[in-house]
Formats: sequence, structure tokens, C-alpha cells
Amino acid sequence: MSLPCGIRNYNYAQDMAIFRTKTHWGMLIVFLVLLFTVPPLTFNHLWLNTVNTIGITLIATLGLNILVGYCGQLSIGHAGFIAVGAYTSAILTNRFDMPFLVGLIAAGVVAGCVGIIFGLPSVRVKGFYLAITTIAAQFIIIWVINHWGLTGGFEGISVPYASIGGLVFDSDVKQFYLVMVIVLMAVFVAKNLMRTKVGRAFIAIRDNDLAAEVMGINVNYYKLLAFFIGCFFAGIAGALLAHTTYYLNAEQFSFTDSILYIGMIIIGGLGTTIGPMLGVTLVKIIQKVLLPIYMVPWLENSITSLPAGFATGLAPIVFGLIIVLFLILEPRGLAHRWNLFKAAYRLWPFSY
Amino acid sequence: MKNKKLLIINSIICVALLVVALPFLSACGGGEDTAGKTLKVGIMTPTTGIAAEKGVPLRDANMDCIAYINTELGGINGYQIEAINLDSQYKADQAVTNINQFMDQGCLFFTTSASAEMSWVQEIANRAGFPGLVCYSSPSNYHPPQHIYGQMPDYGDDWTAFAQYYLDNIWQGTGKPKMALMLLNNSTGAGAKNAAMAMADAMGIEIIAMEEHAATTISEMESLTRVSAMNPDVIYISSTPQPTSIIIKEAKNIGLYPNVTIGVCHAAMTKALVDLGGADIIEGVYGVFPTIVSWDEDAPAVVKMKEYAQNLHPNDVNNGDYIAAWAQSLIIAEILRKTLDAVGYDVLAKGDAESWAAIEQYGFQGLDGYDVGGLQSPVNYVAGDNRLGKSLRINRVTNGVITAITGWVEAPLIKYEDYDWFGN
Repeated sequence: MSLPCGIRNYNYAQDMAIFRTKTHWGMLIVFLVLLFTVPPLTFNHLWLNTVNTIGITLIATLGLNILVGYCGQLSIGHAGFIAVGAYTSAILTNRFDMPFLVGLIAAGVVAGCVGIIFGLPSVRVKGFYLAITTIAAQFIIIWVINHWGLTGGFEGISVPYASIGGLVFDSDVKQFYLVMVIVLMAVFVAKNLMRTKVGRAFIAIRDNDLAAEVMGINVNYYKLLAFFIGCFFAGIAGALLAHTTYYLNAEQFSFTDSILYIGMIIIGGLGTTIGPMLGVTLVKIIQKVLLPIYMVPWLENSITSLPAGFATGLAPIVFGLIIVLFLILEPRGLAHRWNLFKAAYRLWPFSY
Repeated sequence: MKNKKLLIINSIICVALLVVALPFLSACGGGEDTAGKTLKVGIMTPTTGIAAEKGVPLRDANMDCIAYINTELGGINGYQIEAINLDSQYKADQAVTNINQFMDQGCLFFTTSASAEMSWVQEIANRAGFPGLVCYSSPSNYHPPQHIYGQMPDYGDDWTAFAQYYLDNIWQGTGKPKMALMLLNNSTGAGAKNAAMAMADAMGIEIIAMEEHAATTISEMESLTRVSAMNPDVIYISSTPQPTSIIIKEAKNIGLYPNVTIGVCHAAMTKALVDLGGADIIEGVYGVFPTIVSWDEDAPAVVKMKEYAQNLHPNDVNNGDYIAAWAQSLIIAEILRKTLDAVGYDVLAKGDAESWAAIEQYGFQGLDGYDVGGLQSPVNYVAGDNRLGKSLRINRVTNGVITAITGWVEAPLIKYEDYDWFGN
């Protein structure tokens, strides 16, 4: 009996497969089974809602990662595009009684189209200059939301439960399944998009747009396509946000959030699919659980001489410090750490 | 040797199992004695995040007052109030998590500090029939009235009360006085805008301008110049202290103030306005407030409030938000007491939809002129009007101090839901 040494690929499909071995498939299945059973069965509202928030934010940051991490088009108005998706779905389902699925898809398409409009300057400018033009998107979108009658203005707009057929997503658990299914689809699309001609064009533009143009890539077309796809993801995330919070007003889409989305993909690792997953998970757990639930009460209880509100003020400082330290100590993001871990795991027990 | 190894392994497994099972064992053992003896209330405050400056004293007052009720007053008919305080972080997704936790943990009703917090969760509460009480409210929180109640008059009521006071006591001219509105671009500004749209014509006031500004504004000279060109008789500012102080300073710089009367809403009429603007600049400005503004005022509840604040949170002394939340907790206790008297503990012990309905029927809707220790106007429920406190006082900055110049002035109910433009 002869055993192959290592993994042999006999055709192109095998060579390109993401999951190449039975172990990979086994781990994927175990992961999915755990994902769809453990949180809904064991998590309380706090953790389940945190997981749902992570899922929704992940969809948005996957889009931002396509735009910034893969195509190199810096956008600092992502919360605005999420708002476009959220309000599109809210208006269609609330004011026009359209089904949730129509609202969901329309949210992606409308946000994508708005993304193209604000992406037009990318044809002429790039880098920090482009960043400034995308900041305009954030403020213009929020202004329109606050002053357009259909959006409910400053009072906001209520959003019905998401429903597909007779299934109404009216609880954390049901919403968890809805969000996770869409997250998996988004991850699948984002991962595979980068393995296509389009993805390679994005990467070529990011690395050197002049060289890409010389190679025959229609740079303007692909830049705008990156804006469309990135904002489409943001729109889908916005629609899910709307149907899980049931009420929208413009205060939910702040400029600070736009900055934070950039921070998440940098912490996770730009230009990787695993990066946004790790970055979003880390940031959201720190932001939603560790600081407010554990650190602030601990500080207030253990150091009683602190002035009122001091511990509260300390929380964002600690949060910022974590991000700064992380960027200094691991500038390539958590994705790099993950890759090192995988490499070590494959070679174990040998060191190389 | 082999047995020794086995013994060690078994011991480790036993210890591990014990550690894992400990929370479950303690939950089983400890819960039985105390279960059914507390009245759970969910209290949501923006303790962290961008509104923490207000959220911390609000949280402190809520918890201090409930501690006072539990320890010195013996709770509610002997039952302790169990306050479950959760931080909203002034974020919608966290607020949604919190309200689900409140319902999950069997809270009888919940409170929020800010109108924005309530707006994020009111849909969930209304759909579930879970009653809520909001401290600083906006008309959109309870129009149309469902299961959300306002502790005090809202930003729309501020405008109505000030406008009526202006017409009755300040306006000396003929015809309609010309009023310009300077509005913060959120629910604070929208409240005044809605009230003006609904009531200005009927009251005999001409609205000549509605200028919006951001909370982060550094100058409103442009909008004030436009307003000045229209020769207003009165300017009403519905905003927070920082932008309000900027507007008043610039109005003074261009000679608009004190030639015109300036009135401000209760979000701005605080000590912070005087500190930010400077006592000489802010002097003479009118403003409304739904609670007492001074900690030295002769109100029965002030004594205990001051004692607890000085002992437990000395930094909160003289803070207006502390007064509002202390009053909120007194109302919480009254709602619980009324319901307990009506239906008994067994119904409330369930912490389910039946309890919520009882709380709403006998607690919220049973309020009939409860005196909140003199901290705010008495609270009572009138069918179709979910504002429990309906009156506020007109104040004026005199010698750098905010001083009440009227008694409690009732703000009439405005049926916003009857107007086509409301929410559209």
C-alpha cells in the first residue's frame, strides 16, 4: 500500500478549491453546526444581540474591505451608505407595504447606486483626496434623511419585522438565523469575488492603477464597480439593521461609526476576507461587552474616589489605546496572526 | 503508583465538574428564598457614550432614590424594588438589547432617560405591550399614545408654554408677534418645530424663520443675520446649552439681543448655559423647565435627595439631571404601589404580559395627581394623553442665576397624530 505524502491536486478545480481536504470540510461542517446551534440555544439576549450586531457589521465591513482593502479606494462615508440601505428598506416596507425581500434587495441596489454617485470623484482623485469626497457622502446623506418627508425626518421611521412567507423574524433567535444566513452568503461572495477577473482587476488597481491601465484594465469602470459592490454590501447590512432595531433615525449612522468601520478592517487585516471577521468580532466585543459591562463598573466600584463619570470617560480612551497598541504591535492585522497560527498548525509538531 | 495517578485524574475531573456546576447549584439554592419578593424594574441610562455626561447623574439618582425607598421606606408595601440598570451607550443596537433583557428578566416596566433611547425601543415595547416611562421626552415617543408614557412635558410643550407666557406677559405690540425658531437638528429641535406648526396660528404667533443648527456648531452668525433682517420680536431656541450659548452671544454681538426676547427649551435652561455663555451675556434670557431648578428650593423631596447625593455621589450635587431622575424613581415607586394595591403581588411576580397590563392599567393610568415631592408638577393620567407630568415653570436668568418666575404652567395636549405632516 502506498500513501501519498502531502496533498495532491489532480486538476485545476482541486487546485483552486478553498476547502481542499476532508479535514477542511469536516471542520467547516462542525463550525456551521456549532454556529447554528450554540448561540441560539445558550446565549442570553446580550450575547445574542452582540452576535447579531457582529453579523450585520461584518456584512458592511466586507463591502468596505472590497472597496478599501482590495481596490484601494479609501471611503470614510460607509455609515452613510448603510443609512441609505436601512432607509430604503424601511420606506419600502413601511410606507409602501412591500415584502421584506424586495426591501432587502432594493436596499443593496439603491445603496450601490448612491455609492457610484459618490464614487465618481475616484475617477479623478485618489488617496486622501478621495477620502475627503467620501466624507461628503456621509453628511449629504444624513442631511437628506433629516429633511425628506418619506424618511420621517428627525422623528425617524418605524420598521416592521422582517418576514419571508409566513415566517416572521420577531425575536433575537429568529433574527440570528436570518443574519447568519446572509452573513454566510456575503462571506461566500466576498471570498470568491477576489478569485475572479473582477477581483484581480481590483487588486491590480490597488497595487498600481497606472500599471493596471497599461495592462488593459478599464480602471474607471472597475473603480465604480468596487463602489457599487462595497455599497451594495453596506445597503444589505443597513436593511438588516433596520429590521432588527425596528426604528430608524439619522443619529444611528454617525461619522464616528464610519471611522470605526475603517478601524475594524485595519485591525482585522486589510485585503483579506478573514480580516473583517476578526476585526469586527474583536472591536464589537470590546465595545459592547468588555468596556460597558465589565470595565466601567469594575473601575467605578473598585476606585470609589474617582470623580463621577471618570470611568465612563476612561472607556473610550482604553478602547483607543487598544487599537493604537494593536496597530503598533501587529500592523498586518489579526488576519496575519491567523495565518501564522494556521501555518504552525499544519507543520505541528515540527517547527518548520 | 497507578492508583495514585488515577486518583489525581479523578480529583481533577471532580474539581472541574464542581467549578462548572457551581453557578447552576448556587442559582438553584439561592433563588428560592428571594424569588417572588422583589418588584423588578428596568432602568436604562446612557451611562457611557456621547451622552454619558447626563447619563451618569441620571443613573446615580435612579439608583440612590431606589436605595432610599428600599432602605428607609421599607420598599413598596414591604417588597423591595429590584432595579436592573443597563447602559444604553446612547446607541440603538444596545438599547434594543437592553429592552429584550428587561422583558426576559421579568421586569414590570422600564424607563429611559432620553427621548432618543426611547425612540429606539418604543416599537418593540409597543408591539409587546411592555410599558415604558421616558424622562426627557419628545412628542414622537407617545403620539399616537400607546404603551409609552412621558414623565414630564416634552420639547413641544416647552414651546407652547413659553409662547403663551410671552403673549400674556411680554408682548406689548399689536397684531401677531414675529417669532424666529433656532432648532437643533434632532428630536429636541423637532419637538418645538412640531408644536409651532400645530399651534402658532391658533395662538396668534407668526413664525418668520425656522433655522437649524448642529450640536457641534461654532457659529450661527449667518442664520442670525437672516433672522435679524426679518425683524423678529422674539427668538425661541430649542437646543442644548453649547449651541444655545453661541446663538445668544452672537445675537448680542449683532445687536439683536436684548432688543428681542429670547426663550429657550428645557434642554438648554441649565446652569451649563450660564457657565458657557457667561452670566452677563445670558442675563435676562427666559427658559422653561419641567422640574425645580435649584437644590435650595423648598420642596419636601429635596432634603433626602440632597442627603443621598452628598453621601453617595457628591459630584452630582446641584445637577439638574439628578433632580429629574430622583423624581422619576419616586414615580416608579408610586406606579408599583398602586398596582400592588390593586392586583396583589402574585400577578406582579409573573413579570409577563399580564403583569405589564396590570402595571399599565392600575399603575400608569391610575396616577391621579401624585405629588412628586415638589420636584416637578404632580403626575396624573388623562385618557389619550400619555404625558404624566403636564406642567412646567417659566424661569429667567437673573443676576446669573436661573430663577423661577411662574408657578407650574400647564401645557395643553396637542394631538400631533391628527396632523397629516406629523411623522411625514
